[in-house]
Amino acid sequence: MTSAPTEKPPSSPPAISVLTLSVPVAMGYVPLGMVFGFLFVQAGAPWWLALVASVWVYAGAAQFMMVPMLAAGLPVASIALATLVVNLRHIFYGLSLLNKLPSQSGARWYLVFALTDETYSVLTTLPPGTRAGQMVTVALLNQGWWVLGTLLGAVIGAQAQMGLVGLDFALAALFAVLAVEQWRSAASSAPLWVAVASYGMALVVMPQQALLVAITLSVLAGLFWPQAAPQEVAP
Amino acid sequence: MIDTSYALGALAAMAAVTFGLRALPFLAARFLQSSPLVQRLGRFLPLAIMTLLLLHTLVGSARQNPSGPWAELIAVVLVVALQWWRRHALLSILAGTVLYVLLRNRVG
Repeated sequence: MTSAPTEKPPSSPPAISVLTLSVPVAMGYVPLGMVFGFLFVQAGAPWWLALVASVWVYAGAAQFMMVPMLAAGLPVASIALATLVVNLRHIFYGLSLLNKLPSQSGARWYLVFALTDETYSVLTTLPPGTRAGQMVTVALLNQGWWVLGTLLGAVIGAQAQMGLVGLDFALAALFAVLAVEQWRSAASSAPLWVAVASYGMALVVMPQQALLVAITLSVLAGLFWPQAAPQEVAP
Repeated sequence: MIDTSYALGALAAMAAVTFGLRALPFLAARFLQSSPLVQRLGRFLPLAIMTLLLLHTLVGSARQNPSGPWAELIAVVLVVALQWWRRHALLSILAGTVLYVLLRNRVG
């Protein structure tokens, strides 16, 4: 799940229809959802389980990541921890939407549930004063594209006999895209180099737990790293 | 074959964690907005975590690739360059994945 949340100006024309906003998301979600559905079914899941994942979890990168973990039968706790790591960034997304989401509890909590990277970036694009119904419509459309793609991929995956190695590189490519977008919108590249150094150290010290060790090192560095002029996190 | 009840349990845990993270700012708004530590991490962590996830996935792929890490390196350079240049996420992901699949199935 992709895109640069901070780059788009909030000054889009007020008449812009929610369908227009959802079309670019569809172009990404349908094919990516297909890759997810395909990989999950090929890994041995029934087709409907792929749908359950996209309706229930609805987090692209985490869903890709869980496929090999489920196929390997890893403990649920490990999968939950990995989900926590992959989706940690969503805490910081929500902070900037605090005052923008509608107060009616149904609409509000669906939008919170559906706050993927793309839906977040579309919501930040909507002009102030957008009705709750329109926000929910665009979020529902976006999830609809993801579920539709998943269904198509799962159905194809259930029929196909694939001997191709390497389709799961889609996950690495997705992380690369997200890292590039974070890099473009970051005030400094320091977090990137800190992450590279942390991972290098972690590989040497504890290769079996490299990701966890590296994240701990990066959090510590983030707490103590001298930082330049603060950026607005919340309006 | 993936066991259904095990997978449903894992999906429920993932759904709970994901929703919890997305809801946290709305539940603990005052604390999160006023804490300078949280603000610091909010500026620092997203790029750091994405970089770590990328490195970790690449290292994982390269370990399963008997002909060395070259396919991973070439494909990821293509993805980063395309994304930097065109900023079209789908194009970058599909091009990188197709190139990687080609490299692994023809060269590897």
